Amino acid sequence: MNRELKQREPSMALCCFWPLSLDSVWLHSVGLTYWPQKYWALAAPIYLLVTVATCIVLLFGVNLMNTAALGSVDNITDHYAQSQRVEEHQEGAILRLGDVSISELNHVFYLHQHES
Amino acid sequence: MSLDNYRAVFFIVFQHVLTSSYLSNMAEEEFTDINGNSISLDCHTHSAFCREFTVNSPKLSLRKVMVYTCFIWILAYAIFFFTENTAALTSAIIVTLVGMMVYIHFVKVDQETLLIIGSLGVQLSSAYASGRESTTFIEMNKLKDIVINEAVYMHSIIYYLCILIKDPADPDKVTSLVPLFQSSKPRLNCLVHVYRSCQEILAQTT
Repeated sequence: MNRELKQREPSMALCCFWPLSLDSVWLHSVGLTYWPQKYWALAAPIYLLVTVATCIVLLFGVNLMNTAALGSVDNITDHYAQSQRVEEHQEGAILRLGDVSISELNHVFYLHQHES
Repeated sequence: MSLDNYRAVFFIVFQHVLTSSYLSNMAEEEFTDINGNSISLDCHTHSAFCREFTVNSPKLSLRKVMVYTCFIWILAYAIFFFTENTAALTSAIIVTLVGMMVYIHFVKVDQETLLIIGSLGVQLSSAYASGRESTTFIEMNKLKDIVINEAVYMHSIIYYLCILIKDPADPDKVTSLVPLFQSSKPRLNCLVHVYRSCQEILAQTT
């Protein structure tokens, strides 16, 4: 359910109007005395924006860390491909779906002369 | 024709036969690495089952060294000018010297060599700018195949030549990968050249 017009929420109203209020006597008399410092009215949104910006940079870093190195077997295969069964080829049958080994691929691409 | 002419013609033909039988074939086309710097590939065929490929990276250029050194020293002098602290100058000198030594001894690779001997194994060798050479040998029974693989490297996908290592007890499973020519990272035209040559040798022996 879309919650449009968030200004209707009482918590949002408090966020907007509390920094503008003075340390008035009537607020204290009602009993609401433990307010945060006015400094936080500026600091909290800035902290949030800096966190978002840092997370964007960290996301690139995490992606780079998770990429397999050039010397890792994950570039060739993984445990799903290694556990696939190789069936005997029957005459005229369609071959079973599965990974082609990289040696075969290289033969096709680079050894046999392609004109196209 | 006179005897001298015959002798001259024979000598020229003999030279031609000598060089072609050694088959020292310098690559004529321009090869570059993945960043566009030009590299060179030498293929030597020592015998019917032994070939050696050498990829030469461009040497460390004096201009670059001078530029980096001047930049660091001018920066250090600027810091000294404002802080009147000689530690900035001393540290700049030490950083430059130590950085240069570490770079040419551990980082800058001048040439990489792949020597393939059929039914014996493969030897990989890297020669650094300071003269240091590091060599590894892979036996033929551990070597499954030499292939060109594509993988994600930083922000792009590159082709690179690699050796598939297998355990002799389990010949179908690839246990690890050894990438070749890592410091010079040649492009696909150079790799296909080396790949075809290696496959000729591997096809003879298996």
